[in-house]
Amino acid sequence: MRRLLRHRGDLLAALAFLSPNLLGLLVFTLFPLGFSMVMAFTNWNLRHQNMFKPNPVRWVGFDNFWRLLQEADFWRFLGNTLFLMIGIPFAIAGSLFLAILLNKESRGGDRRIYPLVISVVAVLVSAMLLGLWGMGASAMELLLGTTAGGILLLGAIGGRAVYRTLLYLPSFTSGVAIFVLWKDLYNPDTGPINLALRPVLRNIQNVVRSIPPFWPRLGLWAAVLLMVAILAGAFRRLGRHWREGDLGTGIFLSATGFMIIPTITAWFWFPKVGAAFLLTLLTAAIVIWQWTPLAGTRDADGRGGSAGGLLLALMTLPALFVVEGLGIVCFNLPAQAANGLHAPSWLASYYWAKPGLMIMSFWIAVGSNNMLLYLAGLSNVPPELYEAADLDGASRLDKFRHVTWPMLAPTTFFICIMSIIGGLQGGWDMAVAMTQGGPAGATTTLSYEIYAQGFQRGAFDKASAVAWIMFVFVLLATLASWKFGNRYVNE
Amino acid sequence: MENLLPWGIRAVTLPGGAENGRFHPRLREWGGAVIGGPGNMDIKHILLLGLVLLTAASVLTDVNLPSHRRRYPVLHWVTDDNPARVVELAPLKNWLRRHRYPMFTVHLDFANDDMSKFVIQGVSGDADTLVDTFDDDLDYLHDCNLLYNLTPDAKKMGFDLSHTYPAVKATVVRNGRQYLYPTNVNVLDYWVNKAAFAKYHQPPPPRTWTFAEFQRIGRAFVRAANPPGRRPKVFFTNSVDTRIMRRSLGLSAFNETLTRCTLADPRYVRVLRLMYRWTFVDHLLPTPAEEASFATHPGYGGPDFQMFNNGQFAMLYTGRWMLIQLRKFYKTTGPVPLAVCEPPYGNFPNALLFTRATGIYIGSPRKKLAEYFLKYLTSRAYNMQIIRDGDAEPPNPVYARSRRFLDPPQYPNEWGCTAVEVRAIQTIAIPRAYSPFVLPWTVSRIMRTDAEAGFMAGIYTARQAASLAADRINRHIIHNIRHSQRLRRLYDKLRRRQKIIDCLRKEKRKVPLRLITNPFYRRYYVAKGWAR
Repeated sequence: MRRLLRHRGDLLAALAFLSPNLLGLLVFTLFPLGFSMVMAFTNWNLRHQNMFKPNPVRWVGFDNFWRLLQEADFWRFLGNTLFLMIGIPFAIAGSLFLAILLNKESRGGDRRIYPLVISVVAVLVSAMLLGLWGMGASAMELLLGTTAGGILLLGAIGGRAVYRTLLYLPSFTSGVAIFVLWKDLYNPDTGPINLALRPVLRNIQNVVRSIPPFWPRLGLWAAVLLMVAILAGAFRRLGRHWREGDLGTGIFLSATGFMIIPTITAWFWFPKVGAAFLLTLLTAAIVIWQWTPLAGTRDADGRGGSAGGLLLALMTLPALFVVEGLGIVCFNLPAQAANGLHAPSWLASYYWAKPGLMIMSFWIAVGSNNMLLYLAGLSNVPPELYEAADLDGASRLDKFRHVTWPMLAPTTFFICIMSIIGGLQGGWDMAVAMTQGGPAGATTTLSYEIYAQGFQRGAFDKASAVAWIMFVFVLLATLASWKFGNRYVNE
Repeated sequence: MENLLPWGIRAVTLPGGAENGRFHPRLREWGGAVIGGPGNMDIKHILLLGLVLLTAASVLTDVNLPSHRRRYPVLHWVTDDNPARVVELAPLKNWLRRHRYPMFTVHLDFANDDMSKFVIQGVSGDADTLVDTFDDDLDYLHDCNLLYNLTPDAKKMGFDLSHTYPAVKATVVRNGRQYLYPTNVNVLDYWVNKAAFAKYHQPPPPRTWTFAEFQRIGRAFVRAANPPGRRPKVFFTNSVDTRIMRRSLGLSAFNETLTRCTLADPRYVRVLRLMYRWTFVDHLLPTPAEEASFATHPGYGGPDFQMFNNGQFAMLYTGRWMLIQLRKFYKTTGPVPLAVCEPPYGNFPNALLFTRATGIYIGSPRKKLAEYFLKYLTSRAYNMQIIRDGDAEPPNPVYARSRRFLDPPQYPNEWGCTAVEVRAIQTIAIPRAYSPFVLPWTVSRIMRTDAEAGFMAGIYTARQAASLAADRINRHIIHNIRHSQRLRRLYDKLRRRQKIIDCLRKEKRKVPLRLITNPFYRRYYVAKGWAR
């Protein structure tokens, strides 16, 4: 007792120090969280209940949720949110690639630096001469040359710290500033992106016009074969994991289901029914070929995991969609080239607004915290492993596959989960600053809908319901990380 | 390990909390890095000192707030960031003094000019006293019960409806109560840059025209102003108003009793198709992509005013308030010869009446003072200022008759323009139809963002877009009446009336005007001779 009394002062002091934080957590996080949960089950709308209109708030049970699930808009906005998340695997791959590059020292020795200085000066002089001559050397080219040269030179002098700083720059720049910048970059008429695309498209147009339409259209069939190859590789890996007991049967089937989605969409999107038919036929053949092991016994009788399968499906699906899209583009190219290939209208176009935001998100994400996490992960890889691999005669690719990638597995899984959570919650700031959710709702995400329902219409009931549905998605992603993360990482 | 911090405070790092000798005994158990000081200056004292300093700073800031130093009470006015607003307030002080009214100061609040902000502040009990509303806002504020009922005092103090245009009533009155008084009144018309027409040897457009005439004249202009085979850079106009076009064909967004959305109608489909044709085929107006490529002009009104002044838009669909910015351009480019023509019509000429109107926040402790401000809006001092600065039409129609307003002596290029707008306000202007069963914001979003933008983006056909708009709005109506007894009762009553109207119309008999609540149909039925 005396001891407790002696420590009471310390306890009070500690509580006093902690109280601002605890109070903040209680008032600004826990209370709103609980309150929003209650709101989701009531009919609280500012139009009907507020301090100047004291009508009773009624308990409506799951009404708000049922109503939302019946609304076409909700599914459309969920679709938009998921569409914007397609860029996540690419952003993760980009972050990893950058981290590997930035993990190497780029500082030039005394002798190595001279050629670089000479190159930069040469680039600058050439650009200036072109400019003076008026040979298509716009201010943009000059600026581009100078920037590229300057970065090379700085990298040679300052080493990798320069590149790390430059690549991390978007992360400590204000989001709104970035959005305004990209809005200008996407300007259909004067934006640098379209200015750069225009000559490229003109050349493609000329080439496509000069060859028989048969050749570009072949791209659709090539895409079918490529998709089949990707599917075969993924299913083979999936089957191996299942046989070795690393993958549960349920997940094996679910991942298979996920990966045949592009085959199903091909029936709606492919301009040739024949191509969709061929893809379906080959996919079915692969699935049957891979399902055969289900009839046999497993090599190992493991409890089965799912993280590997989920991750595989997550990585394969966007790749398949990209190839599918490219195939369709190739098929339509001759017809479009005949009418003239035009640079996209980006944010003003219903079909390009989402990819536009995705590209910008990719740019923001590659050099972000993900890159830093990978850099930290890379520095933790024991050099002895690389030395051992060197002794075994492993190539660079082998070292990446068998040393770097497995050692970065915990980081990759953490980044995946955080990106999925961020992706589900994201899109609001971009939509507000760049598109206002348009055109025609093309960039309205669930988080933007929460804002619109709650603050623009006062429908706190519905806004909270959307928020809690979103929370369920986020929770599922988090549970997946808790349940399967460790197992995957230790594989 | 010791590092000297400013003001002689020493940072003492205690590895394990034991090896260093000079630290406060209590810190021993905490271990790690702590801050100690020579004279018992530990982190608790620093925290306390910080607290005292912050409290003192807060008190000082509060004492020095500009509002505390004012001689008179301050009313904050949430309004749009319009350069004219400052000069419009300038005569207030003298006016109050001259009439021996209680003195107060009005501060402009541009930062909160967003209805969602005002509503959140309002329902939290702390919003600005005066709030400007525009278009759809009144219903939302009225639903939230955030506006002070002006009816009893408006008549007494002289800012009731007899001091403004009759057509304004629908935009400032709800359930027979006046909640707002207009700060200015406007109809949207096509302002014509006559120099642009002259430049391309085209005759200026007539004051009124049909869809076919609009299309013919527009096509001729775009052909003359742009080289063939190239993407047009000079446009006939910036936009068309589907609401006016639709109404000119006799179709409102809602039925006679405002109980049902009636947009799933071939007339709306026709209007949508015309809009598409004029945008993507005839290039009379810019496509969304072309609009996005216009560089943003930093001044009031964005790029449109600048492009109109330069002749890139031969006509601008706007109101008289454009003159605020246009008159600034005169200084550099010289005055542009102007004319005004009405939007193209089907068979029923009409105009949309817009009102920027001011209301008083119900929770404000200075409601009575704020009423003097509304009284000021009816005054000669304020109205003449509106006339001088070009900010739409004055709210008090008495001043809209002055020659100085209609033909401003210093701007001969504008002569005749304002008269067209005033005539429209007094003759053909009809406010929008607001259904009490669905928020105007929801209607706008469904109609413009979902249906019309979706149709223009090629997601829906015109017929699908029209059905989609009607279905979604009607679904909202059904949901809202299901959740409100009051609305349900009103809905049932109006549905009964609607049935009577439908029967009478079917039998080709005249409909009693009292049965019709939709302001558009009230006028339309009278014009067609269908009402008694």
